[in-house]
Amino acid sequence: MRDVAIIGCGMTKFGRLEGRGLMDLLVEASLKAIDDASVGDRDFSAVSVANFAAGEFVHQSAIASALVDQLGLLPAAADRVENGTASGGSAVKNGFLAVASGAYDLVLVVGGEKMTHLNTKIVTDVLATMGHPSAEYEQGITLPSLAAMFTRLYMERFGVTERHLAMVAVKNHANALKNPYAHFQRAVTIDEVMNSAMIADPLRLYHCCPISDGAAALVLCPAEEARKYSDTPIRISGFGQAADMHAIHEREDPTVVKAVKLASRDAFEMSKLNPSDIDVAELHDAFVILEIAESEDAGFFKKGEGTKALGEGKTALGGELPINPSGGLKARGHPIGATGVAQIVELTLQLQSEAGGRQVEGAERAYSCNLCGFGTNVVAHILERMR
Amino acid sequence: MVERMIGFKCRDCGRMTYQTRARCPNCKGKNFEEVELGDECKLLTYTKLYVLPEGVETSSLLLGMVEFPNGVRASGQLIGDHIKVGMKLRPRWGKLRKLGGKDIYGFKFEPIGE
Repeated sequence: MRDVAIIGCGMTKFGRLEGRGLMDLLVEASLKAIDDASVGDRDFSAVSVANFAAGEFVHQSAIASALVDQLGLLPAAADRVENGTASGGSAVKNGFLAVASGAYDLVLVVGGEKMTHLNTKIVTDVLATMGHPSAEYEQGITLPSLAAMFTRLYMERFGVTERHLAMVAVKNHANALKNPYAHFQRAVTIDEVMNSAMIADPLRLYHCCPISDGAAALVLCPAEEARKYSDTPIRISGFGQAADMHAIHEREDPTVVKAVKLASRDAFEMSKLNPSDIDVAELHDAFVILEIAESEDAGFFKKGEGTKALGEGKTALGGELPINPSGGLKARGHPIGATGVAQIVELTLQLQSEAGGRQVEGAERAYSCNLCGFGTNVVAHILERMR
Repeated sequence: MVERMIGFKCRDCGRMTYQTRARCPNCKGKNFEEVELGDECKLLTYTKLYVLPEGVETSSLLLGMVEFPNGVRASGQLIGDHIKVGMKLRPRWGKLRKLGGKDIYGFKFEPIGE
């Protein structure tokens, strides 16, 4: 396999983007990434478009074909990639494999979602269809209710408190304040989080990510050609992907996100790195408990000790391992198809020392983790600055 | 009519599961037999959901994860007010929600002894 580099990235602001459709967002992010990569008017071999539910949300299908036409990239091989809330991670992985295999040279990976124009009941229902059809969905089980049941188990078993949950939200909102692309540009306090509306006991409003619009994009090419386009190319040195039981109650241990463990193990093995080598991480904190659980299951902290690291400030900007400097899904926002790509855009900027006020000083190696459903399918990536 | 909650046991390796599958996740066997899961299970975790999906018409919904003595687990709606982790429940057939304008029925769980 060939080494693969990211030579350009770009994204729209995340949030409630009124008057802008899904295609507008995909086009904006794509053009920004193409400009950033300085590839001029070169043709792309392939375009990988991550999107969760264009059919359900904006009544459009075959969006990859529509996008390459808009971008003047005909006749590039264009596919829409759908893997639930991990669509973005899967599209990056597909782009990586396409270049690594030698099949394609210049690949655009873009992810996006338009969802804020719909009411919460409808969005909640469409997201809930990721669950097991008869064992979960028909019962009325939604993603927040799975997160709530998981949170209760975690609190009982590992002594996680409401204050710990609030600390994740406070940290990620503080980080988002330094991210011009973030949905929320507002700090929150522990008290605000702990007194916010109950969504699914013990889960409160500020423990959950918002519904957002947005798109993010990357340009990939063989690492040996990367310097032709970019002074600061970033190498994708590893990836891992793993699936777990569709119905959450069937998992061996319902407090372990096993797919995070397996995907991370494979990503670290491929990059020949250990969790202790990572300088900055973007985790899938659709619910704050997930940031804590993933920080453990990915191998950064021992099981049950994620909150200790959080309490000691290790995961804050300036700490040993800053987690979600972008604000995470919690505060940067979670336009579903965009998320996995946006995580890698953030890490690319971090490794290029282009992350402004949220820059992790001297970051050389980064890790990302993108989840489908409540950990049904997980994609992890490891990025490194190229010497 | 008494509805009994049914699970599936792999005829090859004996692994039991609530949901049906094309192949056993343990041994890839394709032959299953139906087994009754029993009248009693234990509550492992739960939530009271206040933001409901389209098709659920109540103002809140109690949901939980249960485990039967044979180790099979299931998730579903709970009936009652005084819910506690570890309490004993039994399956009860009932209306779950509307989907595409149609009523959907399935098993809920209610406390034993109320």
